[in-house]
Formats: sequence, C-alpha cells, structure tokens
Amino acid sequence: MSDPATLNPLERIAEAPADHYRVLKISDLDGDRLLELSKFMKLSLSREDMLAIQAIYAEWKREPTDVELEVIAQTWSEHCKHRIFGATIAHEVDGKEETVNSLFKTYIRDVSQRIFDSKPGFVLSAFHDNAGFIKLDDELAICLKAETHNHPSAIEPYAGANTGLGGVIRDILGAGKGAKPIGSLDVFCFGAPDTTMENIKADDVIHPLGVMRGVVRGVRDYGNRMGIPTISGAIQFDDSYIYNPLVFCGTAGVIPIKDIAKKIEPGMKVISVGGRTGRDGLHGATFSSAALDTDSHESDQQAVQIGNPIEEKKAADFVLAARDKGLIEFITDCGAGGYSSAAGEMLEECGGTIDLDQVKLKEPGLVSWEVFISESQERMVLAVKESSLPELRKLADLYETELTVLGTADGSGILKVTHHSNTVCELDCSKLHDAPTRHLKGRWTKKTALVEPPLLTNPGQALRDLFTDFAIVSREPIIREYDHEVQGNTVLKPLAGATGDAPQDASVLRISGSKRLMAMGVALLPEWGKTDPYAMGAACVDECVRQLVAAGADPERLAILDNFCMGNPDAEEELGALVETVKGIAAVAEVYGAPFVSGKDSFYNYFETKEGPVSIPVTILISGMGIIEEESHVTGASLRKSDSLLAIIGHTASDLGGSVFARRHGLENASVPATRSDEAWACYRKYYEAVKKGYIRSAHDVSEGGLAVTLAEMAFSGKAGLEIDLCSLPMDDDASKAAMLFGESPSRLVIEVAPEYLAKVADLFEGLPFAALGRATTAHANLHIEWGKETLVNEPLADLKSLWKTGLARYY
Amino acid sequence: MEDRPCALLLKFPGTNCDAETSRALEAVGFVTEVLPVSALKPEKLVGVSLVVLSGGFSYGDYVMSGRIASLVTEQKIGATLKDFRDNGGYILGICNGFQILTQLDLLPAGSLVENASGRFQCQWVKMKNLAPKSPFLSRCPDEFELPIAHAEGRLVTKDAAEAGGYVKSGAAALVYTDDVNGSFERIAGLTDESGRVFGLMPHPERFMKARDHYDPDWNGGAEGRGSGYWLFQSLFEAIKEGEVSSE
Repeated sequence: MSDPATLNPLERIAEAPADHYRVLKISDLDGDRLLELSKFMKLSLSREDMLAIQAIYAEWKREPTDVELEVIAQTWSEHCKHRIFGATIAHEVDGKEETVNSLFKTYIRDVSQRIFDSKPGFVLSAFHDNAGFIKLDDELAICLKAETHNHPSAIEPYAGANTGLGGVIRDILGAGKGAKPIGSLDVFCFGAPDTTMENIKADDVIHPLGVMRGVVRGVRDYGNRMGIPTISGAIQFDDSYIYNPLVFCGTAGVIPIKDIAKKIEPGMKVISVGGRTGRDGLHGATFSSAALDTDSHESDQQAVQIGNPIEEKKAADFVLAARDKGLIEFITDCGAGGYSSAAGEMLEECGGTIDLDQVKLKEPGLVSWEVFISESQERMVLAVKESSLPELRKLADLYETELTVLGTADGSGILKVTHHSNTVCELDCSKLHDAPTRHLKGRWTKKTALVEPPLLTNPGQALRDLFTDFAIVSREPIIREYDHEVQGNTVLKPLAGATGDAPQDASVLRISGSKRLMAMGVALLPEWGKTDPYAMGAACVDECVRQLVAAGADPERLAILDNFCMGNPDAEEELGALVETVKGIAAVAEVYGAPFVSGKDSFYNYFETKEGPVSIPVTILISGMGIIEEESHVTGASLRKSDSLLAIIGHTASDLGGSVFARRHGLENASVPATRSDEAWACYRKYYEAVKKGYIRSAHDVSEGGLAVTLAEMAFSGKAGLEIDLCSLPMDDDASKAAMLFGESPSRLVIEVAPEYLAKVADLFEGLPFAALGRATTAHANLHIEWGKETLVNEPLADLKSLWKTGLARYY
Repeated sequence: MEDRPCALLLKFPGTNCDAETSRALEAVGFVTEVLPVSALKPEKLVGVSLVVLSGGFSYGDYVMSGRIASLVTEQKIGATLKDFRDNGGYILGICNGFQILTQLDLLPAGSLVENASGRFQCQWVKMKNLAPKSPFLSRCPDEFELPIAHAEGRLVTKDAAEAGGYVKSGAAALVYTDDVNGSFERIAGLTDESGRVFGLMPHPERFMKARDHYDPDWNGGAEGRGSGYWLFQSLFEAIKEGEVSSE
C-alpha cells in the first residue's frame, strides 16, 4: 500500500478499507491537502475548520471516520450554525472603525433579551427551539418561523420551493412538543418577468418567469395539500435576482403552553416518523453554504429533493394526535443535515446511540454517511418513553405513517452511531458545536446624495405609470392559486374589499380555542438597501410592525423574525451593508419593543456569470406576528363606506430614495427617508386606542408607490370615490409634490373614520403628525387629489384598478 | 344516551378540512366523529345519521381527484354505504368529498375534472339554490355566496343534454351564477334521487360566521351567521325531523 500522505484525497478514499464507512487518515495532512479533502467530499469546510478538526482528533489520538467528518461538516455549516452572524467583524463606517463581536449576540439576542425582560411572560421561548413562541392567552401560545430555500429554487424552482415550504412546516411540527401549523407566508425575489434573454449573462440559468411559475406552483402544491392556508406574502423584482432568486417560506403554529418545554432523558427511545431515507438531498446544508455557478445546475441536482406533502400530512396528523395524548417528550424536524442534525441536536447534552441498521431506506446500498446525513423529506425525529411505544405504534398505524425506533438516549454525552455492527461515529457532543469563530471585514460608505426631484408635470400620468410597475401590481393571479381559507379561520384575507380583489396589508387568523386572533405581516425593501442598508433595516421593522398594528394587533404584543440573504460575505462592502442593516433593524425593534424570536440567514447568493460575479443586494425580510385582543378589533385595508372621512398618521419626508417613483424616474442615489421611530411608536399606540374605541373603519399602510397609490388601493374596494386635499399634510417644508404623492416615508397610515369620530381621533393624536385628508364620495368614482387650489390627480379608479389588476396577470 | 344525531367524518390520508368541517357540524348540533379511514369498518355506520366526506387531497389526488379514496371506501364499506342511504342515512361530500362521491355511484353520473382555467382557484362564488326543498338547502336563501378552493371542480357529463337534464330534474341543486370553472350548466352541487346524498365543490364550513365574508360590511348575515351555517342547519333540522317522524 502506498504512503497515504502522498495520495490525493480521491486515492485516499479509494484505498480506505471498509465498504460502508471509512477511517480517513488526516493527522499528517497540511492545510492545502485538508482543504482539498473538504472540497472533494463537498464538506464546504474552510482550511481553518479542517485544521481545527485535525487538532481535535489529534487530542483524541485517533483518525476520523467519513461519517464523523460529514457530521461535523453539517453541524458547522453556515446553514446550521450561522457562523457569519457569530463572527468577529472589523467594520468601518464612513471611515470610522469598530469591532462587532457577533452580530447575532450584539444586535439580535441582546436587544431581544432586553425586550423579553421588559415584558415578563410574553415571549415563552426564543432562538433555541425550532420556532419562537409568544403567549396568546392563558392556555395557548403561537409561533412563527421563516426559512429560505434559495439555491434549490434556483436550480429546480418547483421542487426547491415545494420542499422549502415542506421544511418550514416541519419546523413548526417540531417546535415545542409539536405545534399545529395554522398559516403560511411566502416571499419571493425574482428577476423581472419581462427580462430579455440577452440580459441573462450565463448559461443554464432559468428565466425569471420560469422560476416564478415553478416556485409558485411548488408552494401551492405543498401548502394546499397540507391544508395550511397561505395567507401572507410579497414579491420583489430586480435584475440582481435573476441568477439568485430568493424564496422565503414561513409558517405559523399554535400550541398549548404546557407543551412548549421539552426534555430528553436517559432511557428514552429516539424514533423517526414519516418518510423513508434515500440518496435524495445529500449535502443540502453544505450546498447552501456555497455560491452557485453554471455547473451547479448540473452537478448539484442531488442536493434538491422532491416533496411528498401527503407523507408529511400523515406524519403531522400523527404528531398532533400523539402530542395531545402526552406521548411525546422531545421532537425536532429532520431538515438540513438529516438524522445527523436532528439526532445531534436531540442528543447534544444527553448522548446516546443511533443504529443505522434500523433506518427504513427508499433504496438499498446506502453507505453509513449517506444514511446519516440524507435530507430526505417528511421525516420527524422524536424522543419518547419506551412505555409509550405500543400506543405510538397504534397511532402510526391509524394515520398510516411509518414509525422506526432508531436508538436510545443514554446520558453518556457521546453521540454513537452504529451500522452493520461497526461503530461508525463516536463524537463528544459538546465538541460538536464548537466551530472556530470566523474573522471578517466589513466596510460601508455613505452612498446617498441630495438629488433634485423631477418636475412633476403630469402627476396623474405618473400615478398610472406606477400602477403598471411590477413592485405594485396586484398579486391576485398568484394569491388565487393558494388556498388561503382552509382551516376556516382566515378573517382578514390577502384580498379584500367589496369585490374581494382589493389589496390587504397584514392577514388575520382566528385561533381555535381562543377569543384572541393572530395577525401576520411581512416587509422587505431591497431597493432601499442598495444605497442605505441601515435605513432599509429600520424601515422593514417599521413596515412589518405597522401592518400588524394597522390590522388591529396590540402594539405591545408583537414579535418579529429576521431573515437575511446576501451575496459574498468575504466582500467587505457587501458584509458592511449587512452590518448596517442589522444595526437598523435592531434600533427600531428596540424602540417598538418588538423582540426577534427567531431568524435565519442565507449567504453566498452570488453567481459567477460570464461578466463576473453578480451578488444580490443585502436583503432583509422582517416577518411578524401580533396578537389581536378580540375580533371586533380586526381592521382591514379597504375603504368600507361612502360617508367616511380619511386622515393620515405620520410624517412625510422630502426624500424620494428607495421609492418606486425614484426608480422609474432614474433618480439615482437619492437619499432614503429615515424612520422616525419614537414618533411612530407614539402614533401606533394612539392608533391602537382608536381601534379599541371602535373609531377606525379601515387603515392602509403607505408603502410602495407612496400616498397616492395607498389612497387608490383603499378605494379599489369599489365603494366610493375619494376627494383628497393635501394642504395640511404633515411634511418636511421642502417636500416636493413628488414626495407628497409618491414618496415612501415609513410610519404612515391612511385611516378611514366615520364622520362623527374624526374630532375624537384628532384629539388622540394631539402633538403627533396627523391630518385630515378628505372624504369618500358617491359624487364620482375618481381619485381626486388637490393641493390647495391645484388639482394634482383626477383619475377614474376603475382605470387605475384595471392597470393594477392586469400588470402581473399578463405574465403569470 | 346521546340524543343529538351522529355524524361520521371519514379522514383519508390527505384529507385536510376535517377539523373545520367537524367544528361546523358540532356548531349546528351534531355529535361528530372524525375517523381515520384505516379504522373504517361497516359497523362504524351503526347509529350514524350522516356520513361526511370533507375537503382535502385524499392520497394526494395524484391520480384523479378522489379516485383512490373512492376505491378504498368502496372496498371497505361500499355495500354498507348504499344500504345506509337506502335506510334513510344522509351523505354529504364537500370539495374532495364531492369528487369521491361522484366515483362511488351515489350521485348522478358526472366527473369533476380540471378547471377550464387550468389553475387552482381560491375565490368566493355566488350560487343559485335550485333545490330549496332539499334537506341540505331548505334554510339557504335563493342566492348565496361561499368560497371555493379547487383545481378540479369542473363538472362534466357525457354530453350537454345530460347536464341540462340535471337542471330540469333538480339534481343540479346548486349552480354558480357566473362561469367559474367551466362546469356544464355551471353546476356547483349535485343531489341524488333520494335527496339524501349531496355533493358540492364550495366550502360551507368556511362561511359559518358573517365575519368570514371578505367584505366586513356584508349584510346578508342574519344572527351573525354566514351562508354555510344555514346549509348545515338545514341538514340538522331534516335529520331531527326524520328522527321524530320515525319514532
């Protein structure tokens, strides 16, 4: 036998002895060789990681098995460990240097912890479980979790999105001792549907339209079959997403509070429920921790799996029935890293043995590491008392799902895996989660400048133009493909108004067994982040919170999630933008007392095109849940009565940056409006008082397209025309007409109020930015906006609505 | 002994409207058992007044919607189910349940195939009640709304004349006021000759309260009820009356 040190990794593996697992001699390899081995095995581990592993094994005085290396790679992958959010970052803003010791600890965890402490008993669990829980009432808690499935969706849009939703639903089933999934959200970022082929600068990239259709159908076919209403969502279109589309899937759940805490103890059995294990989905976690290139479309197909929602539905029915019978002690989903992550998480402290011979396979011949890390879908891993097994088996038969006992927890602290009578893995669980801290550099320099607003000669035409923009057009063709009413609890639906086709901000679900309801909202503003990531982060938190509050949620009882996507974290400018975004979300979240209860991040969303690498802009999705005290507080975004008065809450700034108007009129690097969070927070609390008193008929947030679009959208309910005068609009002295009509300053709500209540509402907002805007009318069916004596806009609502309704329908 | 009438809701793998349908049945007064089909046997129908097949995607509906579920039902309780109907029992199929019923030879011939749009459609629809004497529709108004959510809800018959005949005979108990999915004669729901078997594509269990309507100012809701409530209430009253008259 030749000297292993001189062999390349391929030969090393070829010469290793056993057939189902191998011991790999790494002790004598140098950094280059270790990195080579990592690449060959598709471990996505860096040189430093490999050296750290070498050191651990040197201490243990032995060589690793391939199973162990795979387990460590999964555990240390960015996907599972979020190492960039834990990294030490040397950051420079406009020339000033600072050091961030873990973005997560500094800006997410610590901020949230302060909020938890200020609201005792509200957040019941955050960060450590599959999803964070907040208290709904004395009996029940609700949770929300969002994930990305970007790389799989780029390569195989249908299957990628399909399993993306399937995976996050399992997160909910694996939260606490098993939460019931009650509603889903989906948020996408695509290239524009009308992208020309010449603008796609790489081979084998799927056209945005193909990606969009595939992704929507993937979400549809999983969510609809699972019987979970898809109630909330958003789509952003930008050329930078052509190569790296983003697919966020989120699901909310409900659980009895007594079933949140879970613990595994020695002697318990570890069981798997649901689908079988196959070669599909190998290396998904490590694959998502690397960039895409043209070859990915061929070579990484193995990492994308096919979903089987009925398998998951059966497992879900089983899990919820077993939980109600008190048969579950611990549960987690089988997601990235498969059994290795699930069992690893479960046995982290306790330790135990997993016997791979027990695993039910889809096909014969899988070697040990394949069985242990396969990400085959629709599997849940549970810890149960041995005495509960007979009853659990009966339940599994009743719901026609497969139950397999995988192993036993033993209190040793060691994760031991056996296969064909060999010990193929024996790891000290405490070592498993100690990845080396990464050291990175970030830099951000101010990009915005004062830009002269364009002369607005024909505001009506500008408004019509906005209603054809992909950022604004109705998502109806997509929304109708999702069952958003299953479970019979969707009170505030994604489409509303007198004809059921007008836009809605947050959605609201009744919760069976409670008189309280849950609001769900999402916000993302990638356009803002291109020039001002801090303002983007701030405004995203604001918009999500504003949507929840607008729908009637108690501003004191909200929780939010942060889902980040970015390109190359090793590029200083890109990482710098991320740091600034994180600071922005943290600052506003703290003012609003809206804690982060869960979050996830996705890196390496860049693509090597023929013309060099293309990164996505740093993108933050803030999704949130809020508690609505009673059904009478539920407030929609559609104009309801023709005798109503309208008013605006919030300040209009002169900045046009980030707006759809600015993009369409080529205003580059225009300054982006800041979030005036203290003032906004005061407004939201006053608004909630008005809701509780029954003063508010409807309320719509001012977002993409600005005030003129917001007003028109409210009137798309078809109930009345609008007579508006902007003469008392609270705004910057130098705000242009364009800023008044189309600027996208955050923290603003347009409210509809019965005539007899307007004075009372105005009293509530004494000292805060608030102004009456005008009234609904039956005299005409136009959006008529004046500014003093000047008519700015006088457009038939039917025409605007028609533009808005058909904009996407043509492409979908 | 329980004097409320009993409903038995069959849950196939992939059935997903069982919870809200059972809640709707309980709301009007039924005692409801949701039974996973693995435990289904003929004896389970003893003492039951109503068998319900609810919405969902039984077995994934990858073959033809409701196909496998209808075969499983036929195999497990086929003859018993027909006897149950002949002896005065009621059968209700909603959405996927309707798709299953059309393949169990319990309703006038017809198939529910892919919508003319080729899409899954989640929307509210308006319907005309053509069978105001039906035990399923007696308390429903002449026109009312319910939500639909299906990809395969287009009712086709062997020719247009057959569907026309259903309208004349009253078998087409519910028809859409607009062409929603390409259904022949805009048929939304069918009933059999006995009047005790009824299948419909729309979801009455999703419109139990007036507030379920997409328009918060919808004013059709007496007592704060939605239109779906009156469908279940009609059925409950018919079954209660039947029990009284047979005693």
